Amino acid sequence: MSTMTSTGSTGSTSSDSARTEAGRGRGLRLGGMTWLVWRQHRAAYWTLLAATAVAVALMVYQRQQMMTFLDGYGYPHLKDGWEEKFDHAPLNSTAQLLQLLPVLIGVFLGAPLLAGDLESGTAKLVSAQSVSRVRWITTKLGLSALVVVVCTTAVSAAFTWWWSPVRPSSYSLSWYDDAGFDSSGPMPVALTLLTVVAGVAIGMLLRRTLLSMVVTLGFAVALRLVWSHFRLSLGDVVTVSTHNGVKGENVYPNLPDSANLVDQSYLTASGDTIGWDSCNAATEKAMNACLEKAQVVGWSVDYIPMSQMSGMQWLGASILLALTAGIVAFVILWGRKRLV
Amino acid sequence: MMSYETGHGGSADASAIEARGVGRKYRRGWALQDCSFRLPAGRICGLVGPNGAGKTTLMAIAANLLEPTTGTLRVFGAAPESAEATRRTAFLAQEKPLFRRFTVAETLRMGRELNPGWDQRAAENIVRAGNVPFDAKIGTLSGGQRTRVAFAVAFGKRPDLLLLDEPMSDLDPLVRHELMGTLLAEAAERGTTVLMSSHMLTELENTCDYLLVIAGGGLRLAGEVDELRTAHTLLTGAHSDGRTPPELAYHTVVETRISGRQFTSLVRPDGPVTGPWQAGTPNLEELLLAYLRSPEAPPLIGPSSYVAPQAVAA
Repeated sequence: MSTMTSTGSTGSTSSDSARTEAGRGRGLRLGGMTWLVWRQHRAAYWTLLAATAVAVALMVYQRQQMMTFLDGYGYPHLKDGWEEKFDHAPLNSTAQLLQLLPVLIGVFLGAPLLAGDLESGTAKLVSAQSVSRVRWITTKLGLSALVVVVCTTAVSAAFTWWWSPVRPSSYSLSWYDDAGFDSSGPMPVALTLLTVVAGVAIGMLLRRTLLSMVVTLGFAVALRLVWSHFRLSLGDVVTVSTHNGVKGENVYPNLPDSANLVDQSYLTASGDTIGWDSCNAATEKAMNACLEKAQVVGWSVDYIPMSQMSGMQWLGASILLALTAGIVAFVILWGRKRLV
Repeated sequence: MMSYETGHGGSADASAIEARGVGRKYRRGWALQDCSFRLPAGRICGLVGPNGAGKTTLMAIAANLLEPTTGTLRVFGAAPESAEATRRTAFLAQEKPLFRRFTVAETLRMGRELNPGWDQRAAENIVRAGNVPFDAKIGTLSGGQRTRVAFAVAFGKRPDLLLLDEPMSDLDPLVRHELMGTLLAEAAERGTTVLMSSHMLTELENTCDYLLVIAGGGLRLAGEVDELRTAHTLLTGAHSDGRTPPELAYHTVVETRISGRQFTSLVRPDGPVTGPWQAGTPNLEELLLAYLRSPEAPPLIGPSSYVAPQAVAA
């Protein structure tokens, strides 16, 4: 915004420093509030960007390794037996690590974003300049969100790409487990953004950096617990039933590969379902008598097919992003009046 | 006698600050209550009061850091949160906050990036006068050097109203003298209004031509220094058994002190001050101490700073 540049008449020191700062900007000349926010948080932003570059490079390399192995088994039409030889460790541990992204970024970038300025008093310094407080808050949120979105999108895209050739296999990372589901597609972006803005709001209310980081950590853990509980209800449960009895060969319904089994029960002649363990008995005869008496005719199985994964992720991400937008509005409205 | 007839609208000089019934309540109670005054533009005004009297609160309201709970305050006729008021006001908070990881040059660049009327040369001159290296990180500077850089940021904004909260508290006398000189020269040259809180009464005597005294959350004194001094008389005489002469009761007594066989009274005369005593004009320090020691004394708002307490729709 401000285009004032120092000339030679203002003294060599300032024009020297202006030159070195412009040089550091790598051709991209930041100005006004954007410059201030970038300068204040540049260590965090560069750390994030550098870590992202390393992580993406590692995942690309891992995918090359994996594809070499899969090609040996005739990918894309894989021969039997590849699954026993396949090394799941890199994929599984990476998925586990990626789940830490929201926590780490929320605690180390989100929580101190405003709390640091409120604790050190620099919020007063910025407020005393000619730029409005809303501009300051929105620039902070906007620039941080931009960096977070760029980094998490890159990491998530790399992981999704790496995982996709083996995802249909029920032998590798399951799509419906938190490690796989929350580390691919739009989920890392949405979960991280929500944790970061929640950290900003917590920091704004508590006004102490360390305390806000601890509370944000607690929030991130709570969010994960709630989210794990809630995740599978995003899917539409498919019910399939059979009428060939419940014992013997080929009486169980065929589910698609990698489907997530939600529930299974006995189907009775009246169309009701009863628990599949309700006729457990010591002897075969007693069990048959029980099945007879309850008029069990077959299985009824509830499941979520893997084809729903992407839809579930986007639905979940939009819910999380709506929450994020609500917290952002709260931060701006509250901070406009009370932030000193 | 004081005349309260001067209408604020009719006066020739504009108001830098106009407060009407301004109050601010915190969880623990009122920090400032029912504060009504105006500060004419171009004055160097001292803001005096005991600790916790509400000085910082008043400045923070003028600097748009706080909203008043009651009343309204205007800066050059505009609301403190308006873009115009923010641009024309600079505030130096008591703790002189700066970004610790920024260099001095970057701190000045912040001022340049965020203020349209930034004066880089003025800011650099203040920094250079203290031999503060431009490439030093703020966190490595001494307290006095940091205050100097904070001053430079406030000055570089080229404000029309400069709010300084205990500006000199951590400076040595030499630097204090130098920065005060810079402040007064700049203010005189550009007609800047300065509102400065301080506990150093002698310093105020040399620099200020205007005065606001707050105690117990309310305004005690407001007006031009000379106007306030001449409105009071310091009476010194002999007392009999702790009783002051009965003639004293004709006047508004701010404070009476008895030491040995003498009494000293600061009064606002109502009529001639003849009596068994010696009369004189108090100096600024005597006046301030008397008001600070006697919170129950009736407040005196000079004609140039009087406004009707309740805001009338303009």
